[in-house]
Amino acid sequence: MASIELDRVSKRFRTSVALDEVSLRVASGETVAIIGPSGAGKTVLLRLIAGVEDPSRGSIAIDGADMADVAPERRGIGMAFQNFALFPHMTAFDNIASPLTAREASPDEVRRGVESVAKLLKIERVLDHYPRALSNGQKQRTALARALAASPAILLLDDPLRNVDAKLRFEMRLEFERLLSEQGATTLYVTQDYREAMALGDRIAVMDEGRFIQVGTPETVYFEPASTDVARQFGDPTINLMAAAPDSDASGDFAAIGGVRFGLPSGAVAAAKGRDCLVGMRPEALNFEDDASGAFAVEAVTPLNEKIVTLVAGSDGTELLVSRPSHEAPRRPGEKVSLRIAARDALLFARDDGTRIDVGAARIGS
Amino acid sequence: MSAATLVLDRVDKIYNVGGARPVHAVRAMSLELSPGEIGALLGSSGCGKTSTLRMVAGFEEVTHGSIALAGRPIQAEPPARRNVAMAFEGYSLYPPLTVRDNIAFALKSQRIDAAQVERRVAEVAALLEIEDILGRHPSSLSGGQQQRAGLARALVRDAALHLLDEPMGQLEPRLRAVLRGRLKHYIKERGLTVVLVTHDQTEANALADRIAVMEDGELQQFATPATLRDRPANRFVGAFIGEPPMNLLPAEARAEGQGVVFDLSRDARLSYAPGEVTAPVRDVVLERGRVIIGVRPHAIRLSDAGFSARIVANQWIGDQSHVAASFSGGSVVVVQHERVAARSGERIGLAVEARDLHVFDADSGVAVAHGEAPA
Amino acid sequence: MQHQSTFERVLRGVLIALVLVFFMFPIVWILLMSFQTNEQILRIPPSLLFEPTLENYRALITGRLETHAGTLDIRFMQNLWNSLILSVFSVALALVLGVPAAYAFARFRFRLGEDIAFTLLSFRFAPPLLVLLPLTLYFQDLGLSDTYVGLVWVYQLICLPLILWIVRGYFEDMSPDIEHAYRTAGHGWLTTFRRISIPLTAPGIAAAGLLAFIFAWNNFIFALVLASADKQPVTVGALAFVTASGIQYGQIAAAIVLSITPTLALALYAQRYLVEGLSLGAVKG
Repeated sequence: MASIELDRVSKRFRTSVALDEVSLRVASGETVAIIGPSGAGKTVLLRLIAGVEDPSRGSIAIDGADMADVAPERRGIGMAFQNFALFPHMTAFDNIASPLTAREASPDEVRRGVESVAKLLKIERVLDHYPRALSNGQKQRTALARALAASPAILLLDDPLRNVDAKLRFEMRLEFERLLSEQGATTLYVTQDYREAMALGDRIAVMDEGRFIQVGTPETVYFEPASTDVARQFGDPTINLMAAAPDSDASGDFAAIGGVRFGLPSGAVAAAKGRDCLVGMRPEALNFEDDASGAFAVEAVTPLNEKIVTLVAGSDGTELLVSRPSHEAPRRPGEKVSLRIAARDALLFARDDGTRIDVGAARIGS
Repeated sequence: MSAATLVLDRVDKIYNVGGARPVHAVRAMSLELSPGEIGALLGSSGCGKTSTLRMVAGFEEVTHGSIALAGRPIQAEPPARRNVAMAFEGYSLYPPLTVRDNIAFALKSQRIDAAQVERRVAEVAALLEIEDILGRHPSSLSGGQQQRAGLARALVRDAALHLLDEPMGQLEPRLRAVLRGRLKHYIKERGLTVVLVTHDQTEANALADRIAVMEDGELQQFATPATLRDRPANRFVGAFIGEPPMNLLPAEARAEGQGVVFDLSRDARLSYAPGEVTAPVRDVVLERGRVIIGVRPHAIRLSDAGFSARIVANQWIGDQSHVAASFSGGSVVVVQHERVAARSGERIGLAVEARDLHVFDADSGVAVAHGEAPA
Repeated sequence: MQHQSTFERVLRGVLIALVLVFFMFPIVWILLMSFQTNEQILRIPPSLLFEPTLENYRALITGRLETHAGTLDIRFMQNLWNSLILSVFSVALALVLGVPAAYAFARFRFRLGEDIAFTLLSFRFAPPLLVLLPLTLYFQDLGLSDTYVGLVWVYQLICLPLILWIVRGYFEDMSPDIEHAYRTAGHGWLTTFRRISIPLTAPGIAAAGLLAFIFAWNNFIFALVLASADKQPVTVGALAFVTASGIQYGQIAAAIVLSITPTLALALYAQRYLVEGLSLGAVKG
């Protein structure tokens, strides 16, 4: 087990800054999911920790020991690459065995080590295959087995499910939970899929343009996103963000959207301080109410796997997405509906810089 | 020329005919697409969908069978004479031409007047959000931009049939979601007949009127997305359509009074009181005995009335909980729209309502019943 | 491509035959000549029917050339041996120097890196005669002229740029992640270079080596100027067949056949390495 400390780590390339003063502490045994668009610096960060590239500035420490002069092979790290990076001239067995042979294990230990991790990942049958004879899923598992084989104290997983199909991705995501907890390693899990990040991360670090824009538990990131950028990355379909000026009257704080009043958490108007705002409403937080005189008209109804996504439009053309479980009766296009949202589920963002305005209504733990 | 009917009649594709190891890539493929219909060929890699498309386009010879477009057999014609427009999966833009000239190429060679070409290029460029790159050359474009330019080049043409091979595979997920809706609107507005090849069922569902599910060179089912979801023809289609996939559980069906019991294992069972399972379904199911039960993950209810299972993984992703649970007869995946509080290792009870059951024959995998009606 | 009329098929066949005849004819004719005496060769009109003789080969192997003007000693076998030594050692040295250099150019960006690489390539642009005069003078001072070492050194002008530039491309095509994966698995950089980088670029290295070998083998001008008779390769040695009493076509033909045999054998042997795409399936897709 090992902790990782990143202290103001920067990485510059000739024409660009990949990482800009990134700091993070990962506790021993913790899994941190790193999410962000491509080019955000996620992979560079893993490479720096693995030691295959050097930071331009800042320090990386593992278990308190500075890694500046420690070669990658001496850092006790297992890494799975996004493109698998299997050794094409070696069988799956030899691929998985490579971390063990490096540690001068006896042939017997190597065989036992490879077989146990292969069993865990259900690839016992293809151990004598070369990578080119493996399916994408098997390649992915082989790459993962190789990273796990020597039971490293630190696991770096670079979007390991990116290149496998949706079905396998789902299965592997469920499997990873058990795998990671059994390994007990300190894990950094890079992904672009918010589901993987929420499902596997003890904490989530949201990256953009070489910086962390929010680090927190899945609940925090989902319910109290630091900015509209974070809010948009989590959830499918993505959050509705509507320009509105918070207002209040005797019945409380509210925002007028599509010509309709939506209740806001009390204190919203005070917190907004008259700034232009965006009101964020997650599609699944919106409920339909049967109302023949409703202000919204159903425009399109799309079944999306286990849910039904409905696009509705207000009288002024404002469009909102509503997501409901697929066992609820679908709405019909053209139908008039009204919408309701619990006040605490409405988020408030500053319109100019996209940061969330803290209204003080605790969502988490309630 | 306007959109036309496409008919594939018992089409076979065998590679390496007469060679040491002939490969039967497509077997007895028959389907009919009406003018203005969008059909999707959906399947995993190697299922024969791309071979089928290439035979329609004319890049592969048809081994047996016939392909007709607007009633005219085309399988012997060279690609250029088939009046078919195609968007390729890889990038296939002409490198020396700008994106604008690439898109306009076919129109200009048809001697359509310049003003009209200009208008149509602008229209399709706006649709695919590539107006800003019209003046650039393909080599300076990203993969996603090249793919959209290639798609635009195919869509802008007047052809009897448009073939789209994984047209959005290179695009960012967000853009893909936006373009799907617009693309369908554009196609429907012009009444184009389209064959779409994809491995992404969300894309097939969003775009296609009917989907041909292929596996191992054979057509499994050709039907609307709703039919594929609600009445899959066999266990392959059942498991293939839907994300996360349908749970398939081997079971023994037996009568219990007027009710039905499915034994999933020695100590796990789903029992239905008289009337819960309709009489016709009860008859066909009992006649089979050994069956495979298909249940979609969201159709499983957490209830102590059913069988008991141990939670292996419980993942909350904001608006849903995804739960994997194992029991004596195998494992199941459950999707709940509320957050499930139970932790890994704890036991939960699982139940399925009769109307959510899909029953398949244990040997052939052919559907026996769906919910309240026999297949 | 599948939609061909009979006419197209016939036309294609005819064109292929024409090209084949054009390229293969000289080689076949030389092979035939090597089994004929000078008189048979010079007969007009030439005939495809003749009584084959091994006389030419025997003369080459024994080193005694009988002509009308008398007997002439030729050192063809020595020349062949020289060619072999020079080519093998030149390529071996170029591989030892060039492969690590190619790796460095492919993987690391360093000051003047591109300039150095280009300078090495530019050796191939300079006409050899331009450098030969100063080289001869230097070599005489250094005592390198007319030595194998000196020739192998000069041959680096031919072999090194080839190997460097071809192998560099192969290293660049190989994903660095594969090396990184081996490093993080716990192996040092040298082991990684030996076990991963070299085996994965083996087809490229083989191709570059083969090409360098052919160029070295066919070199004429360096050896002509810098080597005396006992260090001469076959390319220069062949001049001996132009004798006072005429040109010995039969022996020349036999000498050509013998001298292309090693390169041909090597090319056939290396073919499987050249074709084999080891890198397939290494990464996704």
